[in-house]
Amino acid sequence: MNRRDEANRTICEINACINLLYSSPCDETRNNILNYLGCKVYDLYLINNLDGTLLPTAAMTANALPLSNSRQFTKEELSAFNGKNGNPAYVAVNGTVYDVTNNAAWGAATHFGLSAGNDLTAQFNSCHAGQPILEKLPIVGKMI
Amino acid sequence: MATANNGYYNIIGSMDGKPLTALAAVKFLGARASHVIAVGACAVHGGVSAAKPNPAGCVSVASVLQRKVIQLPGCPCHPDWFTGTLAHLLLYGDPELDRRNRPVMFYSQTIHDRCERRSFFDKGIFAKKLGDGACMFKLGCRGPITPIDCPIRKWNGHVNWPVGSSTPCIGCAQFGFPDQMEPFISYDVSKAEE
Repeated sequence: MNRRDEANRTICEINACINLLYSSPCDETRNNILNYLGCKVYDLYLINNLDGTLLPTAAMTANALPLSNSRQFTKEELSAFNGKNGNPAYVAVNGTVYDVTNNAAWGAATHFGLSAGNDLTAQFNSCHAGQPILEKLPIVGKMI
Repeated sequence: MATANNGYYNIIGSMDGKPLTALAAVKFLGARASHVIAVGACAVHGGVSAAKPNPAGCVSVASVLQRKVIQLPGCPCHPDWFTGTLAHLLLYGDPELDRRNRPVMFYSQTIHDRCERRSFFDKGIFAKKLGDGACMFKLGCRGPITPIDCPIRKWNGHVNWPVGSSTPCIGCAQFGFPDQMEPFISYDVSKAEE
């Protein structure tokens, strides 16, 4: 979809939201619609200000990295990938090293008081055992 | 709930001529109440009171009562979250709760899900400093791990909220605040451009 089509589609959505606002008796529904309108205005801003092609999404960036998942990490090597100064953010769980650089739950390469660049096997197993989390993370290697 | 020194770090009044601690009052009233609602971070999980090094030995209300406690985390708790829960109890009975006993009518979706700057995250456009009009993920925004309705409810009479003022969510409505939500702001994640 080119920029013009994308902008037109967004404007149609904004119009539909405004019509919906007139017929919504409930405050919460109205707030939800206003919030959605706010998001659409930001979308328009992006469509208008990005040059040519759209920037890659966070997910696309993660997949596009030249990831080789056979790399071997020592504890010291892993500690360099702490997410600081533009470095990627990696964490190890059960001997596998995962990339959390663009994972939403890892704002500023930290997560519930834990920092990237560490082996977090014990912490992961005490909080997320049995949850389908690791399958969604890109693998970058193994711990030695 | 301050528990050190038998709760004497938090005296809320006197009863029978003796100082009444919050610990004693919660145990006394909590055992007799029809419902118990923990309002705000300190009551729900210790919050700022229980932050390290926690000299007063503060713990959550639920940990001193052997019963169900409806949890309304937040620092502060939004008036709507409390009055909404209370009104629901009075009018309709128990509200639907999640696995951590938070009412799902307020705590079901993360801030990230409804953030007005979500499209910036999806396109990988990140703020490098406070005041930049993009996603504050790299500055340490806790919106993705904080389920609460701030983006649509807003604060101060429904006027504005942190992201609307270009400051990241600090996860005040998530368990573990403040210790586990720190650092609140990080300037050393993005690559220096100079």
